[in-house]
Amino acid sequence: MGENKSDVLQGTLDLMVLKTLESMGALHGYGIARRIEQVSGNTLSLNQGTIYPALLRLEQRGWIKAEWGLSETNRRAKFYSLSRTGRRQIERETENWERVAATIARFLISPR
Amino acid sequence: MDWVRIFLTRCAAIFRRKKLDAELDEELRAHIDLAIAENIERGLSAEEARTTALRDFGGITQTREAYRIQRGLPWLEQIVRDVRFAARQLRKSPGFTLTAILTLTLGLGANIAIFSLLNALLLRPLPVPHADQLAVLYINGASADGQPNYSFNAPLFRALEKHHDAFQSVAGFEVDRFQVRGSSGYMPVSGSLVSGQFFETLQGRPLLGRALTPADDQPHGGSTGFAAVITEGLWQSWFHRDPHVLGRTLIIAGAPFTVVGVMPKSFIGADPIHPAAIYVPLWAEPVVNAPYNNIANGYSSWWISVIARRNPGVSLEWANASLQATTRSLLDESQAPPRWIKEAQAHRFVLVAEPGSKGFTYLRMTFAKPLYVVSALCAAMLLLACLNLASLLMARAAARERELATRLAMGATRRRLVQQLLVEGLLIALIGTAAGALAAPVVSRALVSAFVAQSSGYMAAVVDTSLDTRVLLFVASAAIASTLLIGLVPALRATSRNLNEQIKSGVQTVFTRQHRRWLPRLLMSVQVALALILVIGAGLLATSLTRLYGKDLGLDAKSVADISLDLAQQHIKGDALLRWYRAYDEAVLHQPGVHAASLAFLTPLGNRAWSDAFSAAPNGAKYELYTNEISPDYFATLRIPFLAGRDFAWNDTAATGNKIVLNRTAVRIFFPGANAIGQTMYDGKTPYQVIGVVGDAVYASIHRAPPAQVYFPITQDSDLSPYIFAVIRYQGSPTALADAARHLAVKMLPEIPAPVMTTMSGDIDNWLGSERMMAMLAVFFAACALLVTAIGLYGTLAYTTARRTSEIGIRIALGAQRRQVVVMVFRENAWVALCGSLLGLAIALFAARALASFLYGVSARDPWVLISSVAVLALIASAASLIPAIRAARIEPITALRAE
Repeated sequence: MGENKSDVLQGTLDLMVLKTLESMGALHGYGIARRIEQVSGNTLSLNQGTIYPALLRLEQRGWIKAEWGLSETNRRAKFYSLSRTGRRQIERETENWERVAATIARFLISPR
Repeated sequence: MDWVRIFLTRCAAIFRRKKLDAELDEELRAHIDLAIAENIERGLSAEEARTTALRDFGGITQTREAYRIQRGLPWLEQIVRDVRFAARQLRKSPGFTLTAILTLTLGLGANIAIFSLLNALLLRPLPVPHADQLAVLYINGASADGQPNYSFNAPLFRALEKHHDAFQSVAGFEVDRFQVRGSSGYMPVSGSLVSGQFFETLQGRPLLGRALTPADDQPHGGSTGFAAVITEGLWQSWFHRDPHVLGRTLIIAGAPFTVVGVMPKSFIGADPIHPAAIYVPLWAEPVVNAPYNNIANGYSSWWISVIARRNPGVSLEWANASLQATTRSLLDESQAPPRWIKEAQAHRFVLVAEPGSKGFTYLRMTFAKPLYVVSALCAAMLLLACLNLASLLMARAAARERELATRLAMGATRRRLVQQLLVEGLLIALIGTAAGALAAPVVSRALVSAFVAQSSGYMAAVVDTSLDTRVLLFVASAAIASTLLIGLVPALRATSRNLNEQIKSGVQTVFTRQHRRWLPRLLMSVQVALALILVIGAGLLATSLTRLYGKDLGLDAKSVADISLDLAQQHIKGDALLRWYRAYDEAVLHQPGVHAASLAFLTPLGNRAWSDAFSAAPNGAKYELYTNEISPDYFATLRIPFLAGRDFAWNDTAATGNKIVLNRTAVRIFFPGANAIGQTMYDGKTPYQVIGVVGDAVYASIHRAPPAQVYFPITQDSDLSPYIFAVIRYQGSPTALADAARHLAVKMLPEIPAPVMTTMSGDIDNWLGSERMMAMLAVFFAACALLVTAIGLYGTLAYTTARRTSEIGIRIALGAQRRQVVVMVFRENAWVALCGSLLGLAIALFAARALASFLYGVSARDPWVLISSVAVLALIASAASLIPAIRAARIEPITALRAE
């Protein structure tokens, strides 16, 4: 199972979390982790625990907010949602990522 | 600004750690619960659902650690932890902590206080723009003793003012006490006579109106008479900040001065210790200083201090070369007497400029040398305190060797351990520095009021010892240096040891330890040496001071007071003035507690001299005699012994022929081997008959041997001075006498400025002010040094002995006598004390020459002082070492071995 899974690049996880929150609205940690796994089609080897330091990092930067709430199973959990700066930040991060991806892509397709 | 926000939230997190930890746990639990619930929904068994959830999550502990690192500031938390640990360690041994902090407080407090004083008197620049361009001018070769002369006379200064090629501007000034008419008679106000370019030189901008200019500094003032500039302080206290103060008139010494400007508080003039409240033109000197006239006295009055501003880009060397080149022409222009011109031709009389950014004050000359000595003592004291703390901490660290070794073995890095020990040192240093910095202002204020303020005589000295950046920098560097010294050395040493050896040997490191103990021993020896040097220095300075106080002055200075009377503004002259003086003298004599009273033109320790040339025959060879003018009973009042002849009487008037009294030295010069009584002496052609001979008494300065003196009676002076002293021998309280004397004066003349009283023993204290300061501080430092050294010797020995408990137990069990144990332990410190004493003695003998110039009547190698200093130190060291030794001898072998 693990052979063709790749590790998550530092920084990309942040963008995944932000995008997830953008599309799903407020979500708890477990929900975010599951959503990332699903979207990536299980190609990422993600230890679910690693998203918590990432969430804290985003929260410290003021890009997301956290609030205690109740899950669909009535379990008390911490829900994360985008802040206004977070929304703005997504555009910037997306641009960044696209630039990097485009650069890498140029290397990959360039003729020898 | 993202990082600021992140940093702040991280800092905040440190203080809510517990709550945040609980929240994280709750969140992680929720995650697992949700995962389990979903897994069960997918059809897994409860057990499987849980395992899968945990596996998917990864390591919970790792997550928690990563989260915490992200949340807080790990290095800060570590330091906080270290500080807590260090504080706990220090609390556990309050005796050690208290002595350590007290030692440092003493050492640092004294240093900060002395440095503040040094800063205020010697280092702080004047608060004026571009102070570095200022220069103070002096004359080489103007005084007989070869000392540079910082006073100029009026003609020379006026010539200099006109030709100042090397300088943008040149200013002359004199600080003085002005008698200013207030709402209730005349009041003394500190003022300054300043030349036309003074404000230009200091670039002082007025708050209101204008500053004084060359147009104001004219023989009779400007077009509207003399102008004056006042300071903000006086504007506030006298005029209540009235904006219409400009144009108002101030009456100074009976003459009107028009206020033309107000200077801000930040302007203090050119003398940083004597800030003036009123500035008037230099040409007003004869008015302010009446009946004297220094300007008219020309080349016989040297009274003006000179400060100048260099042109930008002109070096001091160039300015000096230019000054040297113009000295001769300046003398010519000012019509100097031939004597000075001859000196100038031989290049002995020359004007010199020195850096003047700190302005000029004569107090600096009095206190520069003693202050540097005291700072050296202070630095030695601080070094001693730090060495002492280092050896104490080292002994403590040695006692913790096993603990440290165990922690190293369990994986602590050396860096972590050093950091922790360093934090302990830092904590002590910080508390000590803070306490020292708090105590310092009190100490420096006490020093100022005890020594400096008195020595400045009739002008109130304002020594600003407040902490400025310079002092704070000094404090900070002292604190850092002491932390490194007391913390780093022991920390590095304690962690440098071979780990295996530690664990293996355990407490029984006794035998391998001996050769490793050279560093603490060296530290302690250096401490003993330093302490000995301080004790010897204190002994020498104190001996010198007692010799100075015991010096034979030729008179009995105890219970004598001088009252200075100022009748210059009273329009009483000649016989009427003499009658007033006599009446006042007799009235004082009838006051309770007054044994004797008389009048004199000069007081024996008043630092003012008057001389007159006499010859034994008309127009014969002249000899300069120091003079004084006195009333009858002067000698009896001061108990100056009468050797022959009689005293003056009130009926020795001008009609009865000029009479004089000589002192013994004068008789030896004029009439060697002959009876002087009845002989005649001449001042030019005027004959004087000698009617009495008295013993030699101190004149003007306590530091000079009594010179040849002649006394005139006030009853025969045709031009009697309106300034005179009543010299009184009294019993009881001097303040009561002062009140009575003041009351009497005002009763007899309501307009008279309040007479000022000084006691002669106070005069002596003032004369010996800097010597007293040095001796008292030296004794204080020596006592502290002894105390600190005793603590150090006791502390280190007690620690090492405690660690040898089992060894000593075995020795006693094997039959060692208790006495032998005492000797064995005692010997350790005896060696340290011996080596230290030898080192200290060697340095003291070597440095003797440096101290010699501060000593009176005692050699810097005085054997008695040296021997008794060593004896005192040996006594203290023995007492400090004997206690741990005796305690070691009381060790019971059974308990010692059981403790293993």
